[in-house]
This record gives sequence, C-alpha cells and structure tokens, in this order.
Amino acid sequence: MSAPILDIRGLTTAFKTRNGPIKAVDGISLTVERGKTLGIVGESGSGKSMLSLSIMGLVPPPGRIATGEIVFQGSDVLKYSPAEIRDMRGNRISMIFQEPMTSLNPVHTVGFQIIEAIRAHRKGSERELRKEAIEALRRVQIPSPERRFDEFPHQLSGGMRQRVMIAMALVCEPDLLIADEPTTALDVTIQAQILDLLRELQAETGMAIILITHDLGVVAQVADDVAVMYAGKIVERAPVGAIFDDPQHPYTIGLIGSMPRMEDDVERLVAISGVVPPPFRLPVGCRFNPRCPFADDECRASQPALVEISSSHAVACWNAPLEEHA
Amino acid sequence: MTKPLLELKGIKKLYPVRKGLIIQKQIGTVRAVDGVSFRLMPGETLSVVGESGCGKSTTARLAMRLIEPSEGTIHYDGQDITHAPRAELRRLRREMQIIFQDPYASLNPRMTVEEIIAEPMVVHNVGDNASRRDRVRELLRLVDLAPYHASRYPHEFSGGQRQRIGIARALSVSPRLIVCDEPVSALDVSIQAQIINLLKDLQQEFGLTYLFISHGLAVVKHVSDRVAVMYLGQVVETADKATLYANPRHPYTQALLAAAPEPDPTRRSAGRTLGGDIPSPLNPPSGCRFHTRCPLAQPRCSAEIPALREIGAGHLAACHFAETVPDFTRFRDGYGIRPRLQARLDLYARKRDAVASAIQ
Repeated sequence: MSAPILDIRGLTTAFKTRNGPIKAVDGISLTVERGKTLGIVGESGSGKSMLSLSIMGLVPPPGRIATGEIVFQGSDVLKYSPAEIRDMRGNRISMIFQEPMTSLNPVHTVGFQIIEAIRAHRKGSERELRKEAIEALRRVQIPSPERRFDEFPHQLSGGMRQRVMIAMALVCEPDLLIADEPTTALDVTIQAQILDLLRELQAETGMAIILITHDLGVVAQVADDVAVMYAGKIVERAPVGAIFDDPQHPYTIGLIGSMPRMEDDVERLVAISGVVPPPFRLPVGCRFNPRCPFADDECRASQPALVEISSSHAVACWNAPLEEHA
Repeated sequence: MTKPLLELKGIKKLYPVRKGLIIQKQIGTVRAVDGVSFRLMPGETLSVVGESGCGKSTTARLAMRLIEPSEGTIHYDGQDITHAPRAELRRLRREMQIIFQDPYASLNPRMTVEEIIAEPMVVHNVGDNASRRDRVRELLRLVDLAPYHASRYPHEFSGGQRQRIGIARALSVSPRLIVCDEPVSALDVSIQAQIINLLKDLQQEFGLTYLFISHGLAVVKHVSDRVAVMYLGQVVETADKATLYANPRHPYTQALLAAAPEPDPTRRSAGRTLGGDIPSPLNPPSGCRFHTRCPLAQPRCSAEIPALREIGAGHLAACHFAETVPDFTRFRDGYGIRPRLQARLDLYARKRDAVASAIQ
C-alpha cells in the first residue's frame, strides 16, 4: 500500500486566553489516502474547521499549532517557510468554504478571480490564462462559461457560486482538496449536484478530499473513511460502511439516531441530551460523559484513548463494545 | 365534520418591481406566492416544503397576516380574516404564534428571558405581574429549561436553548395555532432532534395545530400529518404524509426526495440528480413552472398551466401527467435501517431512558 498523502500526528491547535490555553484541536492523528475522501463529522464547536485551517496554515491569531506534525506528501508542512506554504496553498492543497458569497470578491469578475488563483503559482499570457479559466469553469459544468467569465459573483446563483469556488480551487490541480461544509448553504437539489460534481472530479483527477460536514447523509454519500470529532478529539474512525453498520462510540450512535429518516416511521428520535461543552469548560474524563447514557465512574475519571478494535476501526470509549457493558 | 382552523384560498403575494428615481415605472412583478390554497385542521401538522425562493415563508407570514395578501382569502376558525382590522387581528394573534428560524436574531438581546417570555402576555393583557412570573417558570420547565434561567440574557444560551426560549414565548398566551418557520434549520443535528421531540410532545400535551415550514423533507416526514410541496410560489403537490413519501406523483416531489442525501453508504445516488437552477420568480417559466428542470417535460408542459387537481383521496398534484409519472421506488424494497445499527440505536435509547428515569 502506498503512503498516505496526508499524515497528521498528534496535532494540537491552541488559543491563548486569559484563562489559559484552549485546545480547539487536541492531539489529533489521522491519515488521508491518495484519491480517497475522508469525511470529518462533528457538530459546531467540535474543532473540525480549526483542524482544516491548521492544515492550510491559516490558524487565526492568537491561535497557533502547539504540537504535532502535518506530513503532506512526505514532508512536514509545519516546518515550511512562508514561501513554501504560499506555494502549497491553492496549488497542492486547496480549500472551499461553506458560504460561497463571502469567499468570492464582489468587485471582481469571476474570471479575474480564477486567473488570480493561477497567477499566484505560475506565469502565463492573458489569453492563455483566460482560456484556462474558461476551461476550469467548463469542468465544473457551468453552462456557457465564456459568458460567465465576465460576470460578477452577485449575478450567479448559490449553486453556481459554489461551482466557481470549486473551479478556482481545482484550477492548479491540487492533490488534496479540503471542502469545509461545501453544501450546507445550498438547497437540497443543488447540494446533490455539487456532491455529484465533486465525485466526478475526484474520479477524473485522482485528488484526495477532506470533506468537513455536520451532515451524516452527505458523509454516507461521498466519503470513503470517516472520522467523528467531538470537543477537539476524534472519538471514532472507520471506513464509511462500518460507521453506518457498526457504530461503536455512543456519540456516533446518538448522531445517527438524531437524524430524521425518510424511510421509516420513528415516533421519537434518539436525541442526544445536553449540548457540546465550550472548550474552556471541558468535563474531566471522557468529554462526552455528561451527555452519554453509558457513562460510569471510569468515564468521569479518565479520558479514553483512540484504540483500534480492528485494523481499520478505532474508537475512544471505555465501554466499547457497548453490548458487553450495557 | 370538523371545520378547518385555518384555510387559505387562492392566496397571492405580488411584489411590484419599479425602476426610476422620481418617475417610477413598474417594470415587472415578483410572484412570490402565486395562488396558494390549503386547509389546516385543528390538531394536525401541515408542513410546507420547498427550496429557497419557493415562497414557503411568505405563505406562512401571509397566513398570519404579518404581510398583506395581494389576492385571495384567509379564514381562521370559520371567520374571514383577510381584511380584519388591527384590533381584531390583535385578538386573533393571541391564538396564532410563530417560532422563527434564527434563534439568534429572534430574541431581543437587551431583554432577560423572563421579559422575553412574558412579553406576549403583557401585549395581550394576560394576568398580572405575579401570575406572569409563575407562568414564565412553568413555561421554562415545559421546554426543559430551569427556572433560574429566567433572569439571564439570550447571549448566555446556546442555539438550541434559545430556540426553547422562542418556543416558550410562543406558548405563553396558550395559542391554538403555531407557525414554525424552519425552527430547526439553524441547529446542530443532535439539537435538532431534541427540538423536534419537544415540539411533538407539546403538540400532544396542548392539542396544538402546527403550520410547519421547512426545506428538509426528512424533518417534515417526522413531524407532519400532511405535506404541501411548493415550487416557485405554487403548491405542486399535497397529500397525507404516508402517501406523499410512498407514492409522490409530481416529478418535483420525486426529485426532492431523491436529492436528499441518504445516510446509507451502500445506497449512493449518483446520476439521479435534478439539473439546472431554480428560476427567478420575477420571470417564471411559462406553462408548468417546473418544466425547465423536469426530466419528463413534454411540449404541452411549457404551453399549458397544470391545475392542482385531485388524483387520489386527499392527494392533489399539479402535473399534466400525474397518473403516468413513473413510480418512485426509493423507499420500497430492501430499504430501512440495517439490523445491527438498529440494535445499537435501541440499546442507546433504552440506556438513555433508564438514566433519565433514574434521575427523576
């Protein structure tokens, strides 16, 4: 098996505050395989977005990466010089965000912004770049790309804007695309189009994708592997099939049970009680213990490590497998 | 036969589009809601689903006369309220309350939770200070918050807790009808489930009638008795929940159902998606408004407007070919939660209930 394209080891991203450091990402290790999609699931405040910003070297101050390694294609990104990071961003790793309107510059045409992304990494004549940008728009299936090239973001629908964002992210043919809630702001029929598009583009280019989302449905549709995050930690990691067939962590089970389903009639949803704790008031022991119906004294005393229960499935729970501890 | 609590007949809301600074000329009309009719029976939940711009929120606001309809009539409890004067409306609004989508924008940050929840009672002259205070405590308990929360401000609460405050406010004057305008769309998945369960419990306890607005078909399936699907200002299909999900007859309903991502990795839906964008309500397509995106469109569809007609008991669809549209089979054979996952979910639910009863 070839080496993973991205290998994160013991990553901690912390923010200095008056009350001491807050760890938004707390000792996370994960790998992304070449050409595969890793889905990172978690609710707001789980640290999933901060994890992606850490990979891109975009952690906003006063936050900083305290410990760990981010090995991308064999070298540690954290040891890169600013010039090397600039060369990596948008070229070897690209990112798309949730809200396509705020990520596009309203005073420049769509075409200009795509060309800008190319120019950041290589030179070219105006005509060549224009051709390339139009090609990029065509690749994300924007109808009449020649005309769209000269339009401004406000003239496009939400779905089209997200396509433009994807075109921009992919124009330099990155090896890794980080998509942070790429379809959350979109309508469901448009969401389906964008997910299809991402799948097709991945098949075409062989890029790896990190898909960050709170929607387990989206994960089930596009991910190969899944990492479930809670309060800055990964609580379960497995191939997508195992997550939906054999979920081990009570949080994962609760998340799946929280989703209203269309196929059967459930009188009551299996909701998780309580809320995600704020990072400055984390409970002692397992961070999920105040919300967990399986919590016992051990859970309230010490934090479980992420332990492999099979070669590909790992879970951080003292009571796994739950059947034996119920 | 029971009378409908709320009935909309041919409701339209048209916004003129003007051009020019001094001499304004009307250059077009946004047909935000274009001839919507439905009945809401006491104690039932009718959901209105559709994508952004379909007019579902406008419809909800029209039903409460928060905005004035351009055409059509609204009946509440048998009484025509289309042109009811302000004083009359005030009385009516004690019976119809609304829960908003954004729990951040819908609570005044300068008021305490007690003031927020008590405000409808103050407006409607219900009780005195002491009884209102008791009522606030009681309402907080009803929505699973604690009495000591009354003196706090909205910023001290999470999104889910704020939505609970919004629900307590709506309940404070004991309404009969609650319009829920995307009440869970802004919330995390685990919190959504809590709020949905709460809304269902409250409905059962107080016999509430809900007009539920949502873009999520899965949420709607969970809360509704009947569902109306809207597209570009018009209802394209209405049916009771079981019929709509098992046998949708409008191609748009089918497309919406097909587009929702399934939480099952063994059933991926590549190649079943609807193309195109939602057209602008300023210039809606001719004939059937869905014909520009419809995979089954015929020449007739762009020429002739399909009427919303009965195609089964209580099942209405606005499609020329409603009878011959292929069956929608996604939720049929071999569908459902797999046994191992179901066992885990059951285990979780049992354990949670055991913990909950141990606390009480």
